[in-house]
Amino acid sequence: MIAYLVTIAILVCVAALVGLALNLQWGQAGLVNFGVVGFVAIGAYAAALLTPQVGWLPAMIAAGALSAALSAGLALLSIRLEENYLAIVTLGFGEVVRLVILNEGWLTNGALGIPDIPRPFASLGESIGGDAVFIVFALGLLAIVFLALEGMARSPFGRALRAIRDDATVTSALGKNVFLLRVKAFAVGGAVMGVAGALHAYYLTYIDPSQFTPIVTAYAFMAVIAGGRGSNVGLLVGAGSIMALLEGTRFLKDVIPVIDGVQLSALRLGLIGAGIVLLLILRPQGLVPEPKRRAADVLPKAGGGR
Amino acid sequence: MAAQLFFNGLVTGLLIALPALALTIVFGVLKFANFAVGSMLTLGAYAAWVANVQLGLPLFGAAAIAALTVAGAGLLADQLAFERLRARGSITLLVASMGVSLVIENVCRFFFGNASRGFDVALSRPIRWEGIRINQEQITIAITVAVCLVLVDALLRFTPLGRAMRAVADNASLAAVRGVERRTIARLTWVLVGALLGLAGVLAGLDRAIDPLIGWNYQIPIFAAAILGGLGSPLGAVAGALVIGVAEEMSALVIPTNYRQVVSFSVILALLLFRANGLFGAKAARK
Repeated sequence: MIAYLVTIAILVCVAALVGLALNLQWGQAGLVNFGVVGFVAIGAYAAALLTPQVGWLPAMIAAGALSAALSAGLALLSIRLEENYLAIVTLGFGEVVRLVILNEGWLTNGALGIPDIPRPFASLGESIGGDAVFIVFALGLLAIVFLALEGMARSPFGRALRAIRDDATVTSALGKNVFLLRVKAFAVGGAVMGVAGALHAYYLTYIDPSQFTPIVTAYAFMAVIAGGRGSNVGLLVGAGSIMALLEGTRFLKDVIPVIDGVQLSALRLGLIGAGIVLLLILRPQGLVPEPKRRAADVLPKAGGGR
Repeated sequence: MAAQLFFNGLVTGLLIALPALALTIVFGVLKFANFAVGSMLTLGAYAAWVANVQLGLPLFGAAAIAALTVAGAGLLADQLAFERLRARGSITLLVASMGVSLVIENVCRFFFGNASRGFDVALSRPIRWEGIRINQEQITIAITVAVCLVLVDALLRFTPLGRAMRAVADNASLAAVRGVERRTIARLTWVLVGALLGLAGVLAGLDRAIDPLIGWNYQIPIFAAAILGGLGSPLGAVAGALVIGVAEEMSALVIPTNYRQVVSFSVILALLLFRANGLFGAKAARK
């Protein structure tokens, strides 16, 4: 039972990292990214391929950097596009990543995947139990990323992003470089997705292309919508409750014996889709709405006050 | 070889033309990119499969059932999801359409599993003409799509409904002032689009095995075709579909066939960078 809870907690960490990244891009900056899974996959493969050579920390940094670079590149090309077009370009990017991973067997081992990915602190894990060490690692990573992104959300950069989301024309009239800010948001989000992918690879110690389907993207959207667009705290709540829900439905099999494995997974994925639509209709602000930040909280007290 | 690929490409293009038309009509009238096109096509393929294989109807009757089923699904999705979110802008709508897509795809998976299925049609010898092999299925696809395109064109051009749809697409407020009921037009649009996607599903099922991802495989080519034609332009979507179909098939001459899908993606990217309004001009794609 403990082992099962630990598994869920680690899965929540991965989902939360991906969700935090999407929450920056879509929640705060208003940029749709339907290619989330592509960036996660890039991070996972970078980590899997580099860790045996250079060790986990450089590999993880490389995973984030590579994902960020590709994200920035894609953004440079397409971020000026109107949202419908950005959506399809990012979706296409995700598919291209999948095709490359599937077909470039010399690098990625194709559909067979990469086994035996070494975990960080593996030797420490042997003495006290692998998952115990790993969950501390995963939670630590999540905490660092969360604090960094939360700091970013409160910084002038975060304020500018939300201003762009709410009205790009006004923001650019106020002298902000909308294009550059958007590219930066995409790049930072890409980096976090890459790191999430690396964590995923370390946890499973085995990756193959079937783990990186568009469903990963759907989970991330669900987490952001459930938590509340733009709210990082909400995102953690959203990611946690979704994973709990998904894992909970595993037990449906015991309750309804006629369902087979394929049907169960279809049911879960269908629920995610229905959940996205229902939450958008019924609770668009999410479980933990984005805090309303007023000018008075931000500006120095020089104004003299009320 | 090249002539054969060109011919295959034209047929593939015709196959993509129906869903691309459906995508572009929804975009024109309802102002959002419907990411559920692929899954609605899948639903059409399965509806026809049930009618054809399990109920023993001829393919023609199965196609009618597929068209009705997907039209019904479109109406339902509109009533339950899209209409309620209409005021919240196109980003919300396209994310919602992704949710709808997941629901439809997994309803199909729930009932039919992941196994590949095929219609109950007699195998027939391909015809040879000037060194090109032509399958019966290809002839069926070409004729069906050609008839549909003529009908849709006539509908949009000459009927009151078509005029009303174009009016709403052009300027919804002005159309409302002139007494065009937006809600009714939206419903009828979904019926038309659903019928097109249902038929496209049947044709796709003739062309390849039916599985829950059959529609998803066409998703990027469909978008590429519609964007190439300029989102919102019906004629453009059809022309775009033919170009995409030929480009995908002909790409086999220069790149490995595994990477066929990359062609559509590259077309989208190149087009948006250099000619953002599509080959036939449409509303601005850039902010």
